[in-house]
Amino acid sequence: MLAAPFQAEFDANSQEFSFAGVVRPRSVDEIAHSISMFRNAIEEARGVLYINVKRLAQMNNTAFHAFSRVVLDACRTRSDIRFVVVTSSVVGWTERMFRHLGKIEPQITVEVYDSKFYPGQAFVEDTSFIPILRTQTKMTWRHERKILPRHGMRPGITMADICCGIGDFAVLVRKEFQPARIVALDHSKASLAYARDVASNFGISDIEYSYGDASEMLLEDNQFDLVTCRHSLQIFNQPDLLLKELYRICKPGGRVYITNEKNSHCLGEPRAQSIQWTYNEVARLFAHFEMDVELGPKSRRYLADAGFDDILVESFMVTNQDGDPQDFADIITAWENVYAGEMAVKRGDPPEFIKRFRQGFRDHIFAALHPKGYAGWPIWAASGRKPL
Amino acid sequence: MNAAHRQPAEPKFEPLLQFEMEMGTFLSDWHHCDQLSTYMARMISHNRTDPLRHSNFFSSALNELLEVSFRGGSPEGRIGCAVYRHGPKERVKISFPCPAGQRQFFREAVARTHGNDAYARYLDALSTDLAPSREVVLLDLAINFDAEIRLEEQDPPSITIVVDLPLEGIVS
Ligand SMILES: C[S@@+](CC[C@H](N)C(=O)[O-])C[C@H]1O[C@@H](n2cnc3c(N)ncnc32)[C@H](O)[C@@H]1O
Repeated sequence: MLAAPFQAEFDANSQEFSFAGVVRPRSVDEIAHSISMFRNAIEEARGVLYINVKRLAQMNNTAFHAFSRVVLDACRTRSDIRFVVVTSSVVGWTERMFRHLGKIEPQITVEVYDSKFYPGQAFVEDTSFIPILRTQTKMTWRHERKILPRHGMRPGITMADICCGIGDFAVLVRKEFQPARIVALDHSKASLAYARDVASNFGISDIEYSYGDASEMLLEDNQFDLVTCRHSLQIFNQPDLLLKELYRICKPGGRVYITNEKNSHCLGEPRAQSIQWTYNEVARLFAHFEMDVELGPKSRRYLADAGFDDILVESFMVTNQDGDPQDFADIITAWENVYAGEMAVKRGDPPEFIKRFRQGFRDHIFAALHPKGYAGWPIWAASGRKPL
Repeated sequence: MNAAHRQPAEPKFEPLLQFEMEMGTFLSDWHHCDQLSTYMARMISHNRTDPLRHSNFFSSALNELLEVSFRGGSPEGRIGCAVYRHGPKERVKISFPCPAGQRQFFREAVARTHGNDAYARYLDALSTDLAPSREVVLLDLAINFDAEIRLEEQDPPSITIVVDLPLEGIVS
Protein backbone atom coordinates (compact mmCIF):
# COMPACT_ATOMS: atom_id res chain seq x y z
CA MET A 1 0.00 0.00 0.00
CA LEU A 2 1.70 3.09 1.22
CA ALA A 3 5.44 3.02 0.81
CA ALA A 4 5.54 6.40 2.51
CA PRO A 5 8.30 6.80 5.04
CA PHE A 6 7.36 7.17 8.65
CA GLN A 7 6.66 10.67 9.91
CA ALA A 8 6.10 11.85 13.44
CA GLU A 9 5.32 15.53 13.92
CA PHE A 10 4.15 17.81 16.63
CA ASP A 11 2.09 20.90 15.99
CA ALA A 12 2.26 22.92 19.18
CA ASN A 13 -0.50 25.32 18.11
CA SER A 14 -3.12 22.66 17.83
CA GLN A 15 -1.46 20.39 20.43
CA GLU A 16 -1.57 17.64 17.90
CA PHE A 17 1.01 14.92 17.50
CA SER A 18 0.64 13.04 14.25
CA PHE A 19 1.98 9.76 13.04
CA ALA A 20 1.94 8.92 9.34
CA GLY A 21 3.33 6.35 6.93
CA VAL A 22 4.79 2.95 7.69
CA VAL A 23 6.69 2.15 10.85
CA ARG A 24 7.88 -1.41 11.35
CA PRO A 25 11.07 -1.23 13.39
CA ARG A 26 13.00 -4.28 14.52
CA SER A 27 13.74 -2.70 17.84
CA VAL A 28 12.67 0.39 19.74
CA ASP A 29 16.09 1.98 19.17
CA GLU A 30 15.19 2.64 15.55
CA ILE A 31 12.36 4.94 16.61
CA ALA A 32 14.09 6.42 19.66
CA HIS A 33 14.06 9.87 18.10
CA SER A 34 10.31 9.90 17.47
CA ILE A 35 9.68 8.53 20.93
CA SER A 36 11.59 11.31 22.58
CA MET A 37 9.83 13.88 20.40
CA PHE A 38 6.57 12.36 21.54
CA ARG A 39 7.64 12.56 25.19
CA ASN A 40 8.62 16.18 24.82
CA ALA A 41 5.33 17.01 23.15
CA ILE A 42 3.46 15.50 26.06
CA GLU A 43 5.55 17.44 28.51
CA GLU A 44 4.78 20.67 26.71
CA ALA A 45 1.08 19.97 26.32
CA ARG A 46 -1.60 21.35 28.61
CA GLY A 47 -5.17 20.09 28.74
CA VAL A 48 -5.75 17.86 25.75
CA LEU A 49 -3.14 16.35 23.45
CA TYR A 50 -4.47 15.04 20.16
CA ILE A 51 -2.76 12.01 18.73
CA ASN A 52 -3.52 11.85 15.03
CA VAL A 53 -3.04 8.43 13.45
CA LYS A 54 -5.33 9.00 10.47
CA ARG A 55 -2.55 8.52 7.98
CA LEU A 56 -0.70 5.84 9.82
CA ALA A 57 -0.70 3.10 7.20
CA GLN A 58 1.28 0.49 9.10
CA MET A 59 2.68 0.23 12.62
CA ASN A 60 4.01 -3.04 13.97
CA ASN A 61 3.54 -4.24 17.53
CA THR A 62 7.03 -3.13 18.50
CA ALA A 63 6.27 0.47 17.64
CA PHE A 64 2.70 0.33 18.91
CA HIS A 65 3.88 -0.87 22.31
CA ALA A 66 6.63 1.71 22.50
CA PHE A 67 4.33 4.65 21.74
CA SER A 68 1.55 3.27 23.92
CA ARG A 69 4.03 2.95 26.75
CA VAL A 70 4.77 6.67 26.58
CA VAL A 71 1.09 7.63 26.68
CA LEU A 72 0.21 5.20 29.44
CA ASP A 73 3.15 6.33 31.58
CA ALA A 74 2.13 9.93 31.09
CA CYS A 75 -1.38 9.13 32.30
CA ARG A 76 0.11 7.76 35.48
CA THR A 77 2.23 10.78 36.26
CA ARG A 78 0.05 13.57 34.87
CA SER A 79 -3.52 13.69 36.03
CA ASP A 80 -3.93 17.11 34.35
CA ILE A 81 -3.69 15.85 30.80
CA ARG A 82 -6.08 14.03 28.51
CA PHE A 83 -5.34 12.26 25.27
CA VAL A 84 -7.60 12.02 22.25
CA VAL A 85 -6.44 9.48 19.71
CA VAL A 86 -7.93 10.27 16.30
CA THR A 87 -8.10 7.23 14.05
CA SER A 88 -9.55 6.91 10.58
CA SER A 89 -12.39 4.67 9.54
CA VAL A 90 -10.38 3.99 6.39
CA VAL A 91 -7.46 2.26 8.07
CA GLY A 92 -9.40 -0.42 9.87
CA TRP A 93 -6.75 -1.85 12.11
CA THR A 94 -5.82 1.45 13.76
CA GLU A 95 -9.23 1.82 15.33
CA ARG A 96 -9.17 -1.78 16.51
CA MET A 97 -5.73 -1.49 18.02
CA PHE A 98 -5.84 1.95 19.60
CA ARG A 99 -9.24 1.57 21.22
CA HIS A 100 -7.65 -0.70 23.85
CA LEU A 101 -5.73 2.24 25.28
CA GLY A 102 -9.00 3.81 26.37
CA LYS A 103 -9.85 0.62 28.22
CA ILE A 104 -6.63 0.85 30.19
CA GLU A 105 -6.65 4.54 31.08
CA PRO A 106 -9.80 6.67 31.28
CA GLN A 107 -7.71 9.74 30.42
CA ILE A 108 -7.44 8.37 26.88
CA THR A 109 -10.30 8.52 24.43
CA VAL A 110 -10.28 7.14 20.93
CA GLU A 111 -12.27 8.87 18.21
CA VAL A 112 -12.94 7.79 14.69
CA TYR A 113 -12.56 10.76 12.39
CA ASP A 114 -15.32 10.46 9.92
CA SER A 115 -18.10 12.01 7.99
CA LYS A 116 -18.20 15.35 9.74
CA PHE A 117 -14.66 16.33 8.98
CA TYR A 118 -15.64 19.18 6.73
CA PRO A 119 -18.77 21.25 6.59
CA GLY A 120 -20.49 20.09 3.39
CA GLN A 121 -19.72 16.42 3.80
CA ALA A 122 -23.11 15.29 5.01
CA PHE A 123 -24.91 16.71 1.96
CA VAL A 124 -22.67 15.25 -0.66
CA GLU A 125 -22.51 11.81 0.90
CA ASP A 126 -26.24 11.64 1.15
CA THR A 127 -27.92 8.96 -0.94
CA SER A 128 -30.30 11.54 -2.40
CA PHE A 129 -27.31 12.57 -4.50
CA ILE A 130 -27.18 9.26 -6.34
CA PRO A 131 -29.81 10.03 -9.00
CA ILE A 132 -28.21 13.42 -9.68
CA LEU A 133 -24.79 11.95 -10.18
CA ARG A 134 -26.10 9.38 -12.58
CA THR A 135 -27.85 11.79 -14.88
CA GLN A 136 -25.02 14.32 -14.63
CA THR A 137 -22.40 11.83 -15.75
CA LYS A 138 -24.59 10.65 -18.58
CA MET A 139 -24.75 14.23 -19.91
CA THR A 140 -21.17 15.28 -19.28
CA TRP A 141 -19.80 12.09 -20.81
CA ARG A 142 -20.80 13.17 -24.32
CA HIS A 143 -18.35 16.03 -23.96
CA GLU A 144 -15.70 14.44 -21.82
CA ARG A 145 -15.14 11.40 -23.99
CA LYS A 146 -14.00 13.76 -26.72
CA ILE A 147 -11.75 15.94 -24.61
CA LEU A 148 -10.23 13.33 -22.29
CA PRO A 149 -7.50 12.18 -24.75
CA ARG A 150 -6.14 15.74 -24.71
CA HIS A 151 -5.75 15.41 -20.95
CA GLY A 152 -3.75 12.20 -20.93
CA MET A 153 -6.41 9.51 -21.29
CA ARG A 154 -5.31 6.60 -23.49
CA PRO A 155 -5.48 2.81 -23.54
CA GLY A 156 -3.21 0.84 -21.24
CA ILE A 157 -2.68 3.53 -18.61
CA THR A 158 -2.97 3.16 -14.87
CA MET A 159 -5.57 5.56 -13.57
CA ALA A 160 -7.43 6.57 -10.44
CA ASP A 161 -10.78 8.31 -10.20
CA ILE A 162 -10.83 10.05 -6.85
CA CYS A 163 -14.23 10.98 -5.39
CA CYS A 164 -15.70 8.56 -7.90
CA GLY A 165 -19.26 8.80 -6.58
CA ILE A 166 -21.33 5.95 -7.93
CA GLY A 167 -18.52 4.85 -10.22
CA ASP A 168 -20.27 5.39 -13.55
CA PHE A 169 -17.41 7.46 -14.94
CA ALA A 170 -14.99 4.60 -14.23
CA VAL A 171 -17.28 2.18 -16.05
CA LEU A 172 -17.58 4.48 -19.08
CA VAL A 173 -13.84 5.10 -19.20
CA ARG A 174 -13.09 1.41 -18.93
CA LYS A 175 -15.29 0.66 -21.90
CA GLU A 176 -14.15 3.54 -24.09
CA PHE A 177 -10.44 3.76 -23.31
CA GLN A 178 -9.44 0.40 -21.83
CA PRO A 179 -6.96 1.51 -19.21
CA ALA A 180 -4.85 -1.27 -17.68
CA ARG A 181 -5.92 -0.49 -14.15
CA ILE A 182 -8.59 1.68 -12.54
CA VAL A 183 -8.78 2.49 -8.87
CA ALA A 184 -11.98 4.34 -7.94
CA LEU A 185 -12.14 5.87 -4.50
CA ASP A 186 -14.90 7.59 -2.58
CA HIS A 187 -15.89 8.28 0.99
CA SER A 188 -19.53 7.37 0.66
CA LYS A 189 -20.22 3.75 1.51
CA ALA A 190 -23.67 3.98 -0.06
CA SER A 191 -22.28 5.23 -3.38
CA LEU A 192 -19.57 2.57 -3.38
CA ALA A 193 -22.08 -0.17 -2.68
CA TYR A 194 -24.11 1.11 -5.60
CA ALA A 195 -20.98 1.25 -7.78
CA ARG A 196 -20.00 -2.31 -6.97
CA ASP A 197 -23.50 -3.47 -7.65
CA VAL A 198 -23.63 -1.83 -11.06
CA ALA A 199 -20.18 -3.22 -11.92
CA SER A 200 -21.11 -6.74 -10.96
CA ASN A 201 -24.35 -6.53 -12.93
CA PHE A 202 -22.25 -5.69 -15.97
CA GLY A 203 -19.83 -8.50 -15.17
CA ILE A 204 -17.06 -6.00 -14.46
CA SER A 205 -14.65 -7.19 -11.81
CA ASP A 206 -11.48 -5.25 -12.52
CA ILE A 207 -12.36 -1.79 -11.24
CA GLU A 208 -10.90 -1.46 -7.77
CA TYR A 209 -13.52 0.41 -5.77
CA SER A 210 -12.11 1.60 -2.52
CA TYR A 211 -13.45 3.39 0.53
CA GLY A 212 -11.13 6.20 1.41
CA ASP A 213 -10.65 9.82 2.26
CA ALA A 214 -9.43 11.81 -0.69
CA SER A 215 -7.53 14.23 1.50
CA GLU A 216 -5.64 11.46 3.30
CA MET A 217 -5.32 8.61 0.86
CA LEU A 218 -3.61 5.34 1.51
CA LEU A 219 -2.41 5.11 -2.05
CA GLU A 220 1.29 5.11 -2.79
CA ASP A 221 3.14 8.06 -4.24
CA ASN A 222 3.83 8.34 -7.97
CA GLN A 223 1.76 5.46 -9.25
CA PHE A 224 -0.88 6.72 -11.71
CA ASP A 225 -0.52 7.98 -15.26
CA LEU A 226 -3.80 9.84 -14.91
CA VAL A 227 -5.69 10.90 -11.81
CA THR A 228 -9.18 12.21 -12.39
CA CYS A 229 -11.28 14.06 -9.84
CA ARG A 230 -14.58 15.27 -11.15
CA HIS A 231 -16.91 17.86 -9.60
CA SER A 232 -15.26 17.37 -6.28
CA LEU A 233 -12.53 19.91 -5.68
CA GLN A 234 -15.35 22.42 -5.48
CA ILE A 235 -17.00 20.71 -2.53
CA PHE A 236 -13.93 20.63 -0.30
CA ASN A 237 -13.36 23.55 1.98
CA GLN A 238 -9.64 23.17 1.32
CA PRO A 239 -9.32 22.20 -2.35
CA ASP A 240 -5.57 22.76 -2.23
CA LEU A 241 -5.13 19.92 0.25
CA LEU A 242 -7.03 17.57 -1.99
CA LEU A 243 -5.04 18.66 -5.02
CA LYS A 244 -1.84 17.99 -3.13
CA GLU A 245 -2.95 14.41 -2.62
CA LEU A 246 -3.85 14.02 -6.29
CA TYR A 247 -0.42 15.36 -7.17
CA ARG A 248 1.25 12.94 -4.78
CA ILE A 249 -0.27 9.79 -6.24
CA CYS A 250 0.29 10.91 -9.84
CA LYS A 251 3.44 9.68 -11.62
CA PRO A 252 5.98 12.32 -12.61
CA GLY A 253 5.08 13.06 -16.21
CA GLY A 254 1.49 11.93 -15.59
CA ARG A 255 -1.53 14.21 -15.42
CA VAL A 256 -4.23 15.21 -12.98
CA TYR A 257 -7.60 16.01 -14.55
CA ILE A 258 -10.26 17.95 -12.67
CA THR A 259 -13.71 19.20 -13.58
CA ASN A 260 -15.56 21.91 -11.72
CA GLU A 261 -18.49 24.27 -12.16
CA LYS A 262 -19.23 27.91 -11.95
CA ASN A 263 -22.80 27.65 -10.81
CA SER A 264 -23.66 31.33 -11.13
CA HIS A 265 -23.10 30.92 -14.87
CA CYS A 266 -25.88 28.41 -15.36
CA LEU A 267 -28.27 30.02 -17.78
CA GLY A 268 -31.50 29.72 -19.70
CA GLU A 269 -33.90 31.43 -22.03
CA PRO A 270 -36.70 32.32 -21.57
CA ARG A 271 -36.92 33.54 -17.95
CA ALA A 272 -33.23 34.35 -17.86
CA GLN A 273 -33.41 36.73 -14.90
CA SER A 274 -35.12 34.41 -12.47
CA ILE A 275 -32.73 31.64 -13.45
CA GLN A 276 -29.71 33.83 -12.96
CA TRP A 277 -30.90 35.04 -9.57
CA THR A 278 -31.31 31.50 -8.32
CA TYR A 279 -27.89 30.32 -9.47
CA ASN A 280 -26.21 33.32 -7.91
CA GLU A 281 -27.91 32.22 -4.72
CA VAL A 282 -26.71 28.63 -5.25
CA ALA A 283 -23.14 29.88 -5.20
CA ARG A 284 -23.80 31.81 -1.98
CA LEU A 285 -25.53 28.86 -0.39
CA PHE A 286 -22.57 26.60 -1.05
CA ALA A 287 -20.20 29.27 0.18
CA HIS A 288 -22.16 29.27 3.42
CA PHE A 289 -21.18 25.62 3.82
CA GLU A 290 -17.61 26.42 2.78
CA MET A 291 -17.87 24.91 -0.68
CA ASP A 292 -16.83 26.87 -3.74
CA VAL A 293 -19.05 25.92 -6.67
CA GLU A 294 -17.56 28.88 -8.54
CA LEU A 295 -14.23 27.09 -8.72
CA GLY A 296 -14.22 26.13 -12.42
CA PRO A 297 -12.34 29.13 -13.85
CA LYS A 298 -9.97 29.08 -10.87
CA SER A 299 -8.70 25.65 -11.94
CA ARG A 300 -5.72 27.12 -13.71
CA ARG A 301 -4.54 28.91 -10.60
CA TYR A 302 -5.13 25.90 -8.35
CA LEU A 303 -3.18 23.62 -10.67
CA ALA A 304 -0.33 26.10 -11.00
CA ASP A 305 -0.12 26.65 -7.26
CA ALA A 306 -0.04 22.91 -6.69
CA GLY A 307 3.10 22.63 -8.84
CA PHE A 308 1.72 21.32 -12.13
CA ASP A 309 3.04 22.41 -15.50
CA ASP A 310 1.69 22.13 -19.04
CA ILE A 311 -1.71 23.20 -17.72
CA LEU A 312 -4.65 22.89 -20.07
CA VAL A 313 -8.03 24.44 -19.25
CA GLU A 314 -11.14 24.19 -21.35
CA SER A 315 -14.84 24.57 -20.78
CA PHE A 316 -17.91 23.01 -22.24
CA MET A 317 -21.61 23.63 -21.85
CA VAL A 318 -24.01 20.83 -21.08
CA THR A 319 -27.33 21.89 -22.58
CA ASN A 320 -30.88 20.77 -23.12
CA GLN A 321 -29.83 19.94 -26.68
CA ASP A 322 -27.48 17.17 -25.52
CA GLY A 323 -29.86 14.30 -26.14
CA ASP A 324 -33.13 14.21 -24.30
CA PRO A 325 -34.09 17.61 -22.76
CA GLN A 326 -35.86 15.67 -20.02
CA ASP A 327 -32.45 14.46 -18.78
CA PHE A 328 -31.41 18.05 -18.35
CA ALA A 329 -34.66 18.79 -16.55
CA ASP A 330 -34.09 15.79 -14.25
CA ILE A 331 -30.74 17.17 -13.16
CA ILE A 332 -32.32 20.49 -12.28
CA THR A 333 -35.11 18.80 -10.36
CA ALA A 334 -32.53 16.90 -8.34
CA TRP A 335 -30.65 20.16 -7.65
CA GLU A 336 -33.83 21.85 -6.52
CA ASN A 337 -34.55 19.01 -4.12
CA VAL A 338 -31.16 19.07 -2.48
CA TYR A 339 -30.33 22.78 -2.65
CA ALA A 340 -33.73 24.27 -1.86
CA GLY A 341 -35.22 21.29 -0.06
CA GLU A 342 -32.28 20.45 2.19
CA MET A 343 -29.42 22.91 2.19
CA ALA A 344 -31.41 26.15 2.29
CA VAL A 345 -33.59 24.68 5.02
CA LYS A 346 -30.49 23.73 6.94
CA ARG A 347 -29.15 27.27 6.60
CA GLY A 348 -32.41 28.48 8.11
CA ASP A 349 -33.71 30.42 5.11
CA PRO A 350 -37.22 31.91 5.37
CA PRO A 351 -40.04 30.38 3.29
CA GLU A 352 -40.28 33.42 0.97
CA PHE A 353 -36.64 33.00 0.05
CA ILE A 354 -37.01 29.29 -0.55
CA LYS A 355 -40.03 29.92 -2.72
CA ARG A 356 -38.17 32.34 -4.96
CA PHE A 357 -35.10 30.10 -4.89
CA ARG A 358 -37.17 27.16 -6.12
CA GLN A 359 -38.76 29.28 -8.83
CA GLY A 360 -35.43 29.79 -10.59
CA PHE A 361 -34.90 26.03 -10.87
CA ARG A 362 -38.42 25.62 -12.22
CA ASP A 363 -37.78 28.34 -14.77
CA HIS A 364 -34.59 26.61 -15.78
CA ILE A 365 -36.60 23.43 -16.34
CA PHE A 366 -39.18 25.46 -18.25
CA ALA A 367 -36.44 26.79 -20.51
CA ALA A 368 -34.99 23.31 -20.96
CA LEU A 369 -38.30 21.79 -22.03
CA HIS A 370 -39.52 24.78 -24.04
CA PRO A 371 -39.56 23.98 -27.77
CA LYS A 372 -37.60 27.14 -28.52
CA GLY A 373 -35.81 27.31 -25.19
CA TYR A 374 -32.16 26.92 -24.31
CA ALA A 375 -30.76 25.83 -20.98
CA GLY A 376 -27.10 25.45 -20.12
CA TRP A 377 -24.76 24.26 -17.39
CA PRO A 378 -21.12 25.23 -17.95
CA ILE A 379 -18.24 23.05 -16.82
CA TRP A 380 -14.51 23.65 -16.70
CA ALA A 381 -12.23 20.71 -17.41
CA ALA A 382 -8.59 21.23 -16.62
CA SER A 383 -5.46 19.20 -16.24
CA GLY A 384 -1.83 19.67 -15.42
CA ARG A 385 1.27 17.57 -15.72
CA LYS A 386 3.30 16.61 -12.71
CA PRO A 387 6.84 17.65 -13.62
CA LEU A 388 9.35 14.88 -14.26
CA MET B 1 -6.66 -39.63 14.46
CA ASN B 2 -8.00 -37.42 17.20
CA ALA B 3 -7.53 -34.32 15.16
CA ALA B 4 -9.82 -35.72 12.52
CA HIS B 5 -12.58 -36.04 15.10
CA ARG B 6 -12.16 -32.55 16.33
CA GLN B 7 -12.39 -30.93 12.91
CA PRO B 8 -14.77 -33.05 10.91
CA ALA B 9 -15.83 -30.60 8.26
CA GLU B 10 -12.68 -28.71 7.32
CA PRO B 11 -13.70 -26.36 4.51
CA LYS B 12 -11.77 -26.45 1.29
CA PHE B 13 -9.24 -23.63 1.18
CA GLU B 14 -7.95 -22.78 -2.30
CA PRO B 15 -4.25 -21.98 -2.61
CA LEU B 16 -3.54 -18.41 -3.76
CA LEU B 17 0.14 -17.75 -3.41
CA GLN B 18 3.23 -19.08 -1.72
CA PHE B 19 6.90 -18.45 -1.28
CA GLU B 20 9.82 -20.34 0.15
CA MET B 21 13.32 -19.22 0.89
CA GLU B 22 16.46 -20.16 2.79
CA MET B 23 16.04 -19.10 6.36
CA GLY B 24 19.56 -17.68 6.28
CA THR B 25 18.62 -15.40 3.42
CA PHE B 26 15.38 -14.37 5.10
CA LEU B 27 17.23 -13.52 8.31
CA SER B 28 19.82 -11.44 6.48
CA ASP B 29 17.55 -8.40 6.31
CA TRP B 30 14.80 -7.29 8.64
CA HIS B 31 13.06 -5.45 5.83
CA HIS B 32 12.14 -8.75 4.22
CA CYS B 33 9.19 -8.92 6.62
CA ASP B 34 7.82 -5.60 5.43
CA GLN B 35 8.55 -6.22 1.77
CA LEU B 36 7.10 -9.71 1.66
CA SER B 37 3.98 -8.80 3.58
CA THR B 38 3.32 -5.74 1.44
CA TYR B 39 3.85 -7.64 -1.77
CA MET B 40 1.84 -10.72 -0.85
CA ALA B 41 -0.99 -8.65 0.58
CA ARG B 42 -1.26 -6.70 -2.62
CA MET B 43 -1.22 -9.82 -4.77
CA ILE B 44 -3.92 -11.67 -2.89
CA SER B 45 -6.20 -8.67 -2.33
CA HIS B 46 -6.76 -7.53 -5.88
CA ASN B 47 -10.06 -9.37 -6.20
CA ARG B 48 -11.42 -8.54 -2.78
CA THR B 49 -14.31 -6.06 -2.51
CA ASP B 50 -12.03 -3.25 -1.38
CA PRO B 51 -8.56 -4.26 -2.57
CA LEU B 52 -6.68 -1.34 -1.01
CA ARG B 53 -8.06 -1.68 2.45
CA HIS B 54 -7.97 -5.46 2.39
CA SER B 55 -4.35 -5.33 1.43
CA ASN B 56 -3.55 -2.85 4.19
CA PHE B 57 -5.24 -5.01 6.80
CA PHE B 58 -3.76 -8.25 5.54
CA SER B 59 -0.29 -6.83 5.33
CA SER B 60 -0.48 -5.81 8.99
CA ALA B 61 -1.31 -9.34 10.08
CA LEU B 62 1.14 -11.09 7.77
CA ASN B 63 3.96 -8.78 8.77
CA GLU B 64 3.50 -9.70 12.43
CA LEU B 65 3.70 -13.39 11.55
CA LEU B 66 6.83 -12.86 9.49
CA GLU B 67 8.34 -10.87 12.32
CA VAL B 68 7.55 -13.71 14.72
CA SER B 69 9.41 -16.15 12.50
CA PHE B 70 12.25 -13.69 12.06
CA ARG B 71 12.67 -13.34 15.80
CA GLY B 72 12.02 -16.96 16.72
CA GLY B 73 13.45 -18.93 13.81
CA SER B 74 16.84 -20.60 13.52
CA PRO B 75 19.09 -20.00 10.52
CA GLU B 76 19.23 -23.54 9.13
CA GLY B 77 16.47 -24.76 6.87
CA ARG B 78 13.81 -22.96 4.93
CA ILE B 79 10.93 -20.65 5.64
CA GLY B 80 7.73 -21.16 3.70
CA CYS B 81 4.59 -19.09 3.63
CA ALA B 82 1.41 -19.94 1.79
CA VAL B 83 -1.90 -18.11 1.57
CA TYR B 84 -5.20 -19.86 0.90
CA ARG B 85 -8.73 -18.61 0.57
CA HIS B 86 -12.14 -19.90 1.47
CA GLY B 87 -15.00 -17.43 1.07
CA PRO B 88 -14.37 -14.37 3.21
CA LYS B 89 -11.38 -15.94 4.94
CA GLU B 90 -7.71 -16.15 4.15
CA ARG B 91 -5.54 -18.82 5.70
CA VAL B 92 -1.86 -18.15 6.19
CA LYS B 93 0.45 -21.10 6.82
CA ILE B 94 3.89 -20.08 7.82
CA SER B 95 6.57 -22.74 8.45
CA PHE B 96 10.03 -22.12 9.75
CA PRO B 97 12.75 -24.01 11.62
CA CYS B 98 12.74 -23.26 15.28
CA PRO B 99 14.96 -24.41 18.17
CA ALA B 100 13.54 -27.22 20.30
CA GLY B 101 13.36 -24.95 23.31
CA GLN B 102 11.04 -22.60 21.52
CA ARG B 103 8.45 -25.14 20.54
CA GLN B 104 6.87 -25.41 23.95
CA PHE B 105 6.77 -21.66 24.06
CA PHE B 106 4.86 -21.47 20.79
CA ARG B 107 2.42 -24.16 21.93
CA GLU B 108 1.59 -22.15 25.02
CA ALA B 109 1.33 -18.87 23.19
CA VAL B 110 -1.06 -20.36 20.64
CA ALA B 111 -3.12 -22.02 23.38
CA ARG B 112 -3.48 -18.67 25.15
CA THR B 113 -5.10 -17.10 22.14
CA HIS B 114 -8.00 -19.49 22.76
CA GLY B 115 -8.25 -18.81 26.49
CA ASN B 116 -11.09 -16.88 28.09
CA ASP B 117 -8.57 -14.53 29.56
CA ALA B 118 -6.98 -13.65 26.21
CA TYR B 119 -8.22 -10.07 26.24
CA ALA B 120 -7.25 -9.49 29.87
CA ARG B 121 -3.77 -10.80 29.14
CA TYR B 122 -3.48 -8.59 26.11
CA LEU B 123 -4.47 -5.46 28.05
CA ASP B 124 -2.17 -6.41 30.85
CA ALA B 125 0.77 -6.80 28.49
CA LEU B 126 0.00 -3.45 26.84
CA SER B 127 -0.10 -1.67 30.16
CA THR B 128 2.97 -3.26 31.73
CA ASP B 129 5.42 -4.76 29.24
CA LEU B 130 8.19 -2.71 27.75
CA ALA B 131 8.24 -4.54 24.44
CA PRO B 132 5.74 -6.94 22.96
CA SER B 133 6.49 -10.61 23.50
CA ARG B 134 5.68 -13.12 20.79
CA GLU B 135 2.74 -14.17 22.90
CA VAL B 136 1.32 -10.66 22.70
CA VAL B 137 1.80 -10.61 18.96
CA LEU B 138 -0.37 -13.71 18.63
CA LEU B 139 -2.92 -12.25 21.02
CA ASP B 140 -2.94 -9.12 18.90
CA LEU B 141 -3.82 -11.20 15.84
CA ALA B 142 -6.59 -13.00 17.70
CA ILE B 143 -8.06 -9.82 19.17
CA ASN B 144 -7.53 -7.16 16.54
CA PHE B 145 -7.84 -9.34 13.44
CA ASP B 146 -10.29 -11.95 14.77
CA ALA B 147 -7.71 -14.57 13.84
CA GLU B 148 -8.05 -18.26 14.59
CA ILE B 149 -4.61 -19.64 15.30
CA ARG B 150 -3.25 -23.18 15.56
CA LEU B 151 0.03 -24.95 15.39
CA GLU B 152 1.21 -27.90 13.30
CA GLU B 153 4.33 -29.75 14.29
CA GLN B 154 4.59 -32.76 11.96
CA ASP B 155 7.92 -31.87 10.55
CA PRO B 156 10.54 -30.96 13.17
CA PRO B 157 12.60 -28.88 13.48
CA SER B 158 10.03 -26.82 11.57
CA ILE B 159 6.81 -25.63 13.06
CA THR B 160 3.85 -24.31 11.14
CA ILE B 161 1.58 -21.60 12.44
CA VAL B 162 -1.81 -21.67 10.75
CA VAL B 163 -3.81 -18.48 10.98
CA ASP B 164 -7.30 -17.95 9.62
CA LEU B 165 -8.11 -14.31 9.02
CA PRO B 166 -11.72 -13.25 8.28
CA LEU B 167 -10.63 -9.86 7.00
CA GLU B 168 -13.08 -9.48 4.12
CA GLY B 169 -15.88 -9.28 6.66
CA ILE B 170 -14.06 -6.72 8.78
CA VAL B 171 -12.97 -4.53 5.89
CA SER B 172 -16.22 -4.23 3.97
C1 LIG C 1 -20.29 16.01 -6.38
S1 LIG C 1 -19.86 14.35 -6.13
C2 LIG C 1 -19.00 13.91 -7.61
C3 LIG C 1 -18.99 12.45 -7.86
C4 LIG C 1 -18.42 11.97 -9.20
N1 LIG C 1 -17.04 12.35 -9.41
C5 LIG C 1 -19.28 12.45 -10.34
O1 LIG C 1 -18.88 13.38 -11.02
O2 LIG C 1 -20.37 11.91 -10.50
C6 LIG C 1 -18.65 14.42 -4.90
C7 LIG C 1 -18.20 13.07 -4.38
O3 LIG C 1 -17.15 13.27 -3.47
C8 LIG C 1 -17.26 12.30 -2.47
N2 LIG C 1 -16.50 12.72 -1.31
C9 LIG C 1 -16.79 13.69 -0.43
N3 LIG C 1 -15.83 13.80 0.49
C10 LIG C 1 -14.91 12.87 0.20
C11 LIG C 1 -13.69 12.51 0.80
N4 LIG C 1 -13.24 13.11 1.88
N5 LIG C 1 -12.99 11.52 0.24
C12 LIG C 1 -13.45 10.88 -0.86
N6 LIG C 1 -14.59 11.20 -1.46
C13 LIG C 1 -15.32 12.19 -0.94
C14 LIG C 1 -18.73 12.21 -2.22
O4 LIG C 1 -19.08 11.02 -1.57
C15 LIG C 1 -19.27 12.31 -3.63
O5 LIG C 1 -19.42 11.04 -4.20
